[in-house]
Amino acid sequence: MKPGLALSFGYEDGSLHALTSAGTAPEILLRDIYSLPGIDLNDFSVLFVSMHSDQRFLAARALQIEQFLVRGGVVVANGHHAYSYLPRMAGFHTIDHYRLSDITVLRLTDHPIWHGIDPRDLTFRRGVSGFYGRVWHEAPPDAQIIHALGKPDMPLDFIYPVGRGHVLFHGGNDLWTFGGEDKQLASRIMQWVAGERDVQ
Amino acid sequence: MSLAILDGGTFYHHAAIHGQRYRELFDKTIYAPELTTDALVGVTFLIVPDRVNPNILRTKRDVLIDFAKAGHTLAVFGENRADTWLPGVTWAPRPTNFWWWLDKDARPPNRLLAPEHEFFQAVPFEHTIWHFHGVLTPPAGARALIDVPADPQGRDSGGALLYEDRVTLPGCMLVSTLDPFYHHGSNFMPAATKLLDGFLPWARAKAALRAYSSDV
Repeated sequence: MKPGLALSFGYEDGSLHALTSAGTAPEILLRDIYSLPGIDLNDFSVLFVSMHSDQRFLAARALQIEQFLVRGGVVVANGHHAYSYLPRMAGFHTIDHYRLSDITVLRLTDHPIWHGIDPRDLTFRRGVSGFYGRVWHEAPPDAQIIHALGKPDMPLDFIYPVGRGHVLFHGGNDLWTFGGEDKQLASRIMQWVAGERDVQ
Repeated sequence: MSLAILDGGTFYHHAAIHGQRYRELFDKTIYAPELTTDALVGVTFLIVPDRVNPNILRTKRDVLIDFAKAGHTLAVFGENRADTWLPGVTWAPRPTNFWWWLDKDARPPNRLLAPEHEFFQAVPFEHTIWHFHGVLTPPAGARALIDVPADPQGRDSGGALLYEDRVTLPGCMLVSTLDPFYHHGSNFMPAATKLLDGFLPWARAKAALRAYSSDV
């Protein structure tokens, strides 16, 4: 399988470190986000988009991203979708004055990326809630919804097809910073992508 | 005379800058990659929010320095490596302690050094207290407004979380390690919203004053 590509946002941060030091196979390479126009995405299997990314810039590259997806690429996108850089995405909804019950992570479907990870360990980090997600997005109608926020009809993590590819969308803090001290989600994402490729 | 803000293009910049709560306060919003000297004509107070990509800020270094050289005010927040593009800035990272407040007896290390400064008329000190990302060493002649003591684990000897520098360049530079735009724009920390509730109207009022070189 081809390597993954993570777009950097220019400063040191635990998020990108967790992603690129996860010891994944194949590896995940880091490139400056603004170098995207000169990158041939066909050289990569997955595009990782951090919540700290300049989405306005990505929206200007929406066609390049969509073409990557249509040809079979996977985009793992995090944060709140504020600019239209992903195909088929609608808006997001904030929850004013949220309580714990509003932002409790609900698992709707088992999925290999999150298999064996207790949703309570996503809702809470050292007893504090909110890191994993605080808003919900409108998912495309054919999306596989893994997690919802507070209520089942408020999607938080979902996967949907674009052409031969898929978007894995997580509407909160960067997905790969979760999954315990060893940050196992980055490796699991790469394993999942490899599995998807085997199927095709 | 006006207040301008750089927009780093992230979702939290979008929420904080273009969201209903504050958008009327900005006379001008400039997408950071499109910053030019011409874009700053008429601007007297420029905010560089936290977490604007420093690769962009470094390419705009001359524009930002010229702005401060012209006697204007530049407010620079954290996590954008200002030490690599703004004169006088020395920054040391410190691993972030997100959890200091979980112990109900815990006291934050933050110290208010200049309670008489008008910034704190607009922004109560308690609204500046949350975790922080590193410490600043103000240049000679600059004034620390908030600081923290040495790292208990010896990784740094302490430093400022907010300082005011009127000596390095003709203008005024307010430099902070805090990241309120990220936290407000992420719906994730009430103190960050309270800080902006006070800071942004104050910045707007300062921008509107033509002669403020001695009273910021």
